[in-house]
Amino acid sequence: MVAVDMPPQTRRRAARSPQTMAWLLSAPALALMLLILLVPMLSALVLSFTDYSLGATELNWVGLDNYEKLFTRSSYEKMLWATLTYVLVVVPMSVGLGLGAALLINSLGRGREIYKTIYFLPVMATLLAMAIVWELMLHPTIGMVNRTLEMGCGTWIESLWPWLADGCANGMPIWLGDKDYALWVVCFIGIWQGFGFNMVLYLAGLTGIPRDLYNAAEMDGARSAWERFRLVTWPALGPTTVFVVTITCIRAFQVFDTVEALFPRGGGPSKSAYMMMFAIYEKGIKQNLIGVGAAITMLFLLFVMIITVIQRRLTERKVHYS
Amino acid sequence: MTRFNELLKHAVLLFGALIVIVPFYQMVSYSLKSPAEIERGIGGFAGSQALMTDEQCVGRNTPDRSDVETARTRFPGQDDSHVLGQLLEEVRAECQVRPAVFNYTSAFSEAPLLCYLLNGVIVTLSIFVIQVVVALPAAYALSKLRFWGREAVFGMVLFCLLIPVHAIALPIYVGLAKLGLINTYAALVVPWTISVFGIFLMRQFFMTVPDDLVDAARMDGMGELAIVWRVMLPTAVPALMAFAIFSVVAHWNDYFWPRMVVTGDRSLFTPPLGLREFKADIDGSLYGPMMATATVIVTPLIAAFLLAQRKFIEGITLSGMK
Repeated sequence: MVAVDMPPQTRRRAARSPQTMAWLLSAPALALMLLILLVPMLSALVLSFTDYSLGATELNWVGLDNYEKLFTRSSYEKMLWATLTYVLVVVPMSVGLGLGAALLINSLGRGREIYKTIYFLPVMATLLAMAIVWELMLHPTIGMVNRTLEMGCGTWIESLWPWLADGCANGMPIWLGDKDYALWVVCFIGIWQGFGFNMVLYLAGLTGIPRDLYNAAEMDGARSAWERFRLVTWPALGPTTVFVVTITCIRAFQVFDTVEALFPRGGGPSKSAYMMMFAIYEKGIKQNLIGVGAAITMLFLLFVMIITVIQRRLTERKVHYS
Repeated sequence: MTRFNELLKHAVLLFGALIVIVPFYQMVSYSLKSPAEIERGIGGFAGSQALMTDEQCVGRNTPDRSDVETARTRFPGQDDSHVLGQLLEEVRAECQVRPAVFNYTSAFSEAPLLCYLLNGVIVTLSIFVIQVVVALPAAYALSKLRFWGREAVFGMVLFCLLIPVHAIALPIYVGLAKLGLINTYAALVVPWTISVFGIFLMRQFFMTVPDDLVDAARMDGMGELAIVWRVMLPTAVPALMAFAIFSVVAHWNDYFWPRMVVTGDRSLFTPPLGLREFKADIDGSLYGPMMATATVIVTPLIAAFLLAQRKFIEGITLSGMK
């Protein structure tokens, strides 16, 4: 509006000044960064010290009450346990499987592309839809998993596998309805969905290792495949591993789709799969306890920051931007 | 020995591939089968495709009083209950369908799936277009223009890269609610309009574009904005493609954010929300249509992925380039 009112000369000069132009070009991005990223992050911090709820006329400062709740109430204790268990299971497993798959595929003569494609499919698929498919597969009576297991009943497998024998005698697990299994099923789906992503990153890392290194290692006496892996491959994949672990960790903390779809009433049997993101959604949005939701948000942010700091420490020497 | 090794590797990888693929197989298989086949676990992959009666079609077309009146001439000398019985038989005969057809037509008729898909397209495309419109000029300014404060702006971009979206979801939800924007397209799009990752990525890419190109354009009398869109954009097409895939896949599959800001208004549902709603309404016999819905939602990206694997893997693992 202002620009239109200015006399033509000034306008032209303003447009020509590289300083102004540069700021004008970055202005929309800057404004949105401020409004959508920085201000909300600070307001989450502020809100976490209040009892704010939407529609309430007043807002009270409650100090650390929300945080105290997080560390004293048993439902939040379950939330922390479930989330940490999920992270500590999914991260090593999906990183390990990703690395294993990449190593195997990389050493193949033929058929690399087909495995790569297949393993990457779950990364592309809508997680919510696939969670629902898994739920159907784990259905206690009509699901494919229990049907397959039941085929083993009465065969020699039963004698080798006590767990199966128990299932045959006393009924197969009800998986998602059983608090001993629910969280593990959620972990399994997380691993199933995520390891292909890690595999692709590891495959890229593997192509970057010069062949000479292997020859040199062999001359130094590293004859077995394990020795070569330990001396060459693993150290060379270091930066990839740091990155893969970081991103898998952060994603694991954000698990939401699976738990929301599988446990509509929230958190699974006895809250055994009550994840942080779901807690934020349940407290903040469904129950309109914004303060508590914000406190959980800050806790999540703290975890992410710890992971990021560790990552930065590990890669500090190698990464440089400008 | 090497032959054996190779075989062993294939065996392990095939086993993994089997577990990865089973849910997809199951999803498509259920989407083709009749309820009875799903219930009893028979029929192989595609079921027998024997004609089944669509009970809902029967329900809709159940003959009433006036139908009986008009049909009486066709069945001379029979009492009303007989006529009714005959008519019901006719309706049932007309409502015979193949299970696959039944599943897919119900997927679209039981819920406004077409509308959900359209919403998905509108939301993902608007997000991508706005992200580019905001990010490109900023990336250009940060890479090709010297201005006071450039380092600070870039530092802010690097800092914002660390903020996980889930950490600001709740405050943004509160902000949108205050503005009365919950349950609007704006709520689905606005939080994603700024992609610091996009800015960072394009800035890194523009750094590789020779300055001469920009200088030549300036000599030709082009304004800075024209340079961004007519000179820089065409050079950036490959990077932009990768970013497009990254952005579109993330937002087509996203469930967390739509769940937060769209409550109940079905006309705004994105595909994952629609599927979730379908699951919530399900009366037990609609697994077939539910899996048909899931198939419809998952297929576009999977098909695109299979057609352009290299591009997709590159796009999805873009975040690996940070």
